[in-house]
Amino acid sequence: MDFDLGEQAATLRTRLRALIADAIPEDYLGAFTNDPNDLEVAQQFCQRLAQEGLLTIAWPTHYGGGGGSMWDQTVVREEMWAHHEPRGAQYMGLNWVGPAIMAYGTEAQKQQHLSAIAAGAVIWCQGFSEPDAGSDLASLTTRANADGDGYRISGQKIWTSYAGMAQWCVLAARVGSGERHEGITMFLLPMDSPGITVRPIRSMLGYHHLNEVFFDDVAVGPDAVLGGVGEGWAVIRRALAHERVGIARYARCERLLSALGAALAPHWDDLPASLRVQWAKALVQVRVARLLAYRTVHAQATGEVPDVLASSARIAVTQCDQAVAEVLCQAVEERALDAGPTAPLYGAIEDHWRYAQAATVASGTIEVQRMIVAKALLGPRA
Amino acid sequence: MNPVLPSEATEFAATAAKAFAALGGVDAARRAEEEPTRRSAEVVAALAAIGAEDLDPRDNPDSLAAAAALCEAAGAVALPFPLAGTLLRDSHQRPFAVVPEGIWRVDHGHLFPHWRVTSLTGVHAIAASDATPLGSRLGPFVTDLHALAGSTDDPGEPGGAPHPDLATHLTLTAWHILGTTGRAVELAVEHVLGRVQFGKPIAAFQSVQFQLADCSVAVAGLRELACFTLWRLTAAPEDALTDALALRMHAIDVARTVLRTTQQLHGAAGVCDEYDICVLIRLVQPALRLPWGAERTTAALAEAIARHGFEGLFPHGPAPR
Ligand SMILES: Cc1cc2nc3c(=O)[nH]c(=O)nc-3n(C[C@H](O)[C@H](O)[C@H](O)COP(=O)(O)OP(=O)(O)OC[C@H]3O[C@@H](n4cnc5c(N)ncnc54)[C@H](O)[C@@H]3O)c2cc1C
Repeated sequence: MDFDLGEQAATLRTRLRALIADAIPEDYLGAFTNDPNDLEVAQQFCQRLAQEGLLTIAWPTHYGGGGGSMWDQTVVREEMWAHHEPRGAQYMGLNWVGPAIMAYGTEAQKQQHLSAIAAGAVIWCQGFSEPDAGSDLASLTTRANADGDGYRISGQKIWTSYAGMAQWCVLAARVGSGERHEGITMFLLPMDSPGITVRPIRSMLGYHHLNEVFFDDVAVGPDAVLGGVGEGWAVIRRALAHERVGIARYARCERLLSALGAALAPHWDDLPASLRVQWAKALVQVRVARLLAYRTVHAQATGEVPDVLASSARIAVTQCDQAVAEVLCQAVEERALDAGPTAPLYGAIEDHWRYAQAATVASGTIEVQRMIVAKALLGPRA
Repeated sequence: MNPVLPSEATEFAATAAKAFAALGGVDAARRAEEEPTRRSAEVVAALAAIGAEDLDPRDNPDSLAAAAALCEAAGAVALPFPLAGTLLRDSHQRPFAVVPEGIWRVDHGHLFPHWRVTSLTGVHAIAASDATPLGSRLGPFVTDLHALAGSTDDPGEPGGAPHPDLATHLTLTAWHILGTTGRAVELAVEHVLGRVQFGKPIAAFQSVQFQLADCSVAVAGLRELACFTLWRLTAAPEDALTDALALRMHAIDVARTVLRTTQQLHGAAGVCDEYDICVLIRLVQPALRLPWGAERTTAALAEAIARHGFEGLFPHGPAPR
């Protein structure tokens, strides 16, 4: 047994931290603030990572990747999330859209999309959820009607992250009159296709985060289908498994807990004893979440499909996110309500609290993860 | 023994709830965020119309109960107004606030030029508000006050006796939190009955039922404690601070779990401003964190119990009376 990620990982981590220190302003809180420059910072950072071969470090070299291991990927994920995801909206393309295209795409799709993602030049969004299809994704009703050799797509998506800034969308729509998983098909389509309208949703998160997307008779060719007509459910499952391990929330929790000393100085010693207890407990909770995430990566690295492990890790990680958010807010007391440059840690604590509230819903609710774990535990008799 | 809030208080709160609904319910708070200058007048007019201006919770137990019920109604819609503070105003029309030791931070502080403030350690002061509110998502109306130069009114002593209005203010704020959490449960009930997934309302899933049942029990417990505390403020004024701290601590605890669960039951809609639950959760944060959050409140409570004991069937604290 050896829990050390090794020399290579340590070197990579140091290199990433140096890059971030150089390219990302200290007060950076991600790409989705009110300041359009923050998106620009993310876009430029992605290109820089791409130039240094770090953006798609774990992709195979023939797809423009660095040929690195899943542990390299893990280090990248941790460092990025810890520093407010300076890859901005592009992490989605890197984490799962690219890998899904590698697994299910045609040669032409791979040619068209993989090198663009690896170059840090394109933002993807994920059009799965609909007003009436959330946890029950298989009830989606966005339709793709055959039209010549292509399709015409009509319907509505909701909660689509980054739709307003994305150039491409992976869209789940139904071909034919099937029910549940039948007929669900994935399409890769440009967001500037005629007939697509994006409406932002005001939320607790960043202003440009969530959106509604309307598809009104949007024409796509047959080459837009990813993974075969009616094969969309398999792609979705794979996508969601990647997405679940794709966000190292525990890393930001740990970084903020670590920065707390500086944020509180010189009042660290005034923290009530009960809060120190909470703080110590939070550090342990973060460690456990990280270890569960590592167990999932280990399973992936050894070729397993880590469905249940991914869900277990996700439950622990999202709970940890919310618990830590509360501890951080308590520690900075009345200043937890502050946002902006004069707030503790430049507003990172307030920002983290708001985002953490959505952690147990985004990419499948914690209840859905519990169902997956329980089903594996109880088997078919339950 | 009669654990029921006086019917006058309940009726008054019902009238208030109607008046707040006429303002648009939570929409009044949304408008206040959009157009910060307009809201004060409309809320003040609504409060005047129901006679809230004549209410002083310090007068007698019935007034205290009516004030508490009014705060509950305000909490249910995140009324954008410092109700507890203005109910405890002085003859100069200066509202009252309990503030942290560090920054004198008050929700809606900018609505009044001068405030009477006090901290737990017994510092009383007249504070001026000329700063702009924070404008953050979790504290849009929170304003930092500062000491009014030259004011000698009501100074208090560091380490001196707590301000006589302190316990009442904490109690009324807890009633506001109760209003928010109670409404959150109602909103979740409406949502899960209407939201269909997997072919049925999600209310049909037992885990959803259990979560809601736990929330409802938590709010019911908080309501009992809130009523009990009102009674104790009059019946045992010497224990007022301990009892008010106990109520505040429990209100924060209940709010934390109930708001989290009810937001979760809304799915992604729970973080979206179009849904009342999201606005309620954002705008109750100042009440949960000012003047102190859960941990500081608990620490203060533990100290108060150690010194003064705690009401129950048996004596508590190292020096029980
Ligand atoms: C920040 C954020 C970003 C997102 N980004 C995207 C995106 O980019 N693309 C995209 O397609 N979607 C996105 N989503 C949507 C997300 O996938 C859905 O919100 C999620 O799947 C839940 O669906 P819902 O919101 O409709 O909640 P619902 O499914 O309506 O659930 C409401 C509540 O009921 C519970 N529930 C549902 N069914 C059951 C059951 N059988 N038993 C017990 N409890 C149940 C849920 O757990 C939840 O608590 C995002 C969401 C968030 C919050």
